[in-house]
Amino acid sequence: MTTKRRFIGLAGSLALLAVTVQAHAEGVVLKALMEDVPETQIIEGMLPEFEKQTGIKVEFEKIGYADMHDKLVSQLIAPKSYYNLLEVDFLWAGEFPAAGWLTDLQPLAKKSSFDMGAFIPSTVDLLGNSSKGLYAVPMYNYSMGLIYRKDLLQDAKLGAAYQQANGTALKAPATLDEYVQLSKFMKQHANIAGAAMQGQRGDPNSMEFSNYLFAAGGAYQDASGKVTLDNAAGKKALDLYLDNIKNGAQTGALSATLDDTQRLMCSGQAFSFVTYWWMLPQLDNAEKCPSVAGKLALATMPGGHGESGGWGWGIPKNISSEEQQAAWTFIQWVQSKPVVAARALLGHAPVRADAYQDPAVLAKYPYYKVAADVVASGKSFPIFPYSAQYEDVLGTQLSMAAGGQVTADVALKDAADGLTKLLKK
Amino acid sequence: MLADSVKVPNSCLRQSDETTPQPRQRRWRDRFDRQWQTGWAFALPGLLVLAIVMGFPLVYSAVLSFSSYTLMRPHVLPLVGLDNFASVLSDPGFWAATWLTVKYSIITVAGEFVLGLGIALMLNRTLKMRPLYFALLTIPMAMSPVSVALIWRMLLQPNLGIANHLLNQAGLPSIDWLGSAETAFWSMAAIDIWQQMSFVVLILAAGLSALPRDPYEAAEIDGARGWQQFWYITLPMLRPVAAITVVIQLINELRTYDLPYVLTKGGPGTSTEVLSFFAYRRAFLGLSLNEGSAAAFVLLLIILGMTVVFFALLERRRA
Repeated sequence: MTTKRRFIGLAGSLALLAVTVQAHAEGVVLKALMEDVPETQIIEGMLPEFEKQTGIKVEFEKIGYADMHDKLVSQLIAPKSYYNLLEVDFLWAGEFPAAGWLTDLQPLAKKSSFDMGAFIPSTVDLLGNSSKGLYAVPMYNYSMGLIYRKDLLQDAKLGAAYQQANGTALKAPATLDEYVQLSKFMKQHANIAGAAMQGQRGDPNSMEFSNYLFAAGGAYQDASGKVTLDNAAGKKALDLYLDNIKNGAQTGALSATLDDTQRLMCSGQAFSFVTYWWMLPQLDNAEKCPSVAGKLALATMPGGHGESGGWGWGIPKNISSEEQQAAWTFIQWVQSKPVVAARALLGHAPVRADAYQDPAVLAKYPYYKVAADVVASGKSFPIFPYSAQYEDVLGTQLSMAAGGQVTADVALKDAADGLTKLLKK
Repeated sequence: MLADSVKVPNSCLRQSDETTPQPRQRRWRDRFDRQWQTGWAFALPGLLVLAIVMGFPLVYSAVLSFSSYTLMRPHVLPLVGLDNFASVLSDPGFWAATWLTVKYSIITVAGEFVLGLGIALMLNRTLKMRPLYFALLTIPMAMSPVSVALIWRMLLQPNLGIANHLLNQAGLPSIDWLGSAETAFWSMAAIDIWQQMSFVVLILAAGLSALPRDPYEAAEIDGARGWQQFWYITLPMLRPVAAITVVIQLINELRTYDLPYVLTKGGPGTSTEVLSFFAYRRAFLGLSLNEGSAAAFVLLLIILGMTVVFFALLERRRA
């Protein structure tokens, strides 16, 4: 009787302990600093489902990109981070692991048999992952392409004027030269901006210029790592970029950000913009953008290559193991095949290859075929510990050249020298 | 008689004075001790808080400015002497930012003072609805600079903003308020003046209302005109209040950070890159907290220098 009573007591204690552990895990609140973009809103709408399945609550704090880096760094260098789930931009993927701020996810992935093979390899490489460690699981990609007004290309009056001015038919541009020429033509003849350009110094103009660089056949570095930004292709890219921002873009392009260009395009006051491909479903929306809905098309950057970018999920080192485990549970869930497919149906830019072949996704968004090309052909901005600083260095030179403070040659040389210096730092 | 008969040596008298306080002296000393202790008891909590929230960061950043601390290598040691200052001072961008900051501060403070004084003088003569005017004037001051910058950024948006829409309605061409190196600096300065002016108005209006009436009555009897009264009575008597206002605003403007951060990110080019923004870029984009701290300390020295020079000029004029 005594033994039985002891057994019941022990079982009860164990059950209570299990409940306590469960309750402890359930008590974790994941807090993430997120960029305020459609992708975040899509995931946010699905969070109640995750909480229902796991008991783990997730809170998103949404802010603009420009403020994210500073806010995260101050938490990552603190004894304990307020954010226990990280959204990591590829531009920080060199800096954060090098500073020792991120948990290596390799052991967690191995332990839970998480299938990293489902991701498009370029999206994994973009985040600086290698055999040395897995610091960020791809979240979504933001490869850049060209979104343009197909209705204006079909306009007979504009077609005749273009034929007369250039001796060729009005059509979607195949090269960077053709694109800039078309942009300037639209500004002159269609009474709208030929290109909505995000020329604000820093991330906006650095990302935009990268497309011109890759489209012109240029690169930041060659295969050996030597800086090649200031070669002939780089010069051509910068000349065309400056020509477009001065003669094809909207008034105020030098202070414009992504939001400004999106609003301009939505209002029907621009012919085109070089932007993230997932902007298309946001603009091709009769409720939000009635002026342009049904009139837009997506293409890879004229010239064949655009800027590739992406976000990943990371876990900070300076949090408790319970929080780390909860964060990993969330990452597994949000990047699982069914959740990614559901997100894709809401306009998500997938990083899993299977989402681009999903019949339901393709039926709803036929342009995901083009999007797959945009992602596959994208090239990356240099990823190293000082990528964010290099964006600032390059952005300053581009802005100075566009504003007439320095010549294109000086800006290009200084931008190349700046990269060389930072790579050696 | 008694005094004559009992002679006390002088040395004894002196000793007696020093060692044995008279009752009145003792009262003062006791009171001083009590006051001293009570004063410290009241001041100590505040001083401790100040030491923690102001003293510690100041000392810490001073240490950082002489250290090798970067975000990639977060160790204070080894100390590197003046290397960080040399690195900052040898950067042409630093001198461009310094000159821009000084120019910006002088222009904005001058604008705030001239406009603020004008409004304060008008309010001083207004009798009806003064509280309402004051309440309206404090609205910009009560707003955070970041909110102000965001609101103005929308108003000045060149394609979809209200400012250019109104210009176009009036038959005038659009202005590229923030996207041109020529206009961005002046747009930012104008927004700053708009926000900071209300503080100047309030302080000067308080100063004006405290001025004595007698000199004005005497001047009126002597036939002095309005501008003569302003020039020879109001301005000299208002000088102490005006000087404090200018110094406070000068310090504020030299530290400007929020407006360029939100409005322009220092651009186009470097046309709105003030020294605080330069220090921020060094610290958080360059990941070099040591160099960022050095730049911030140079800014601190500039502020101290300008404040001292301003007060010295004021004292000389008074002498």
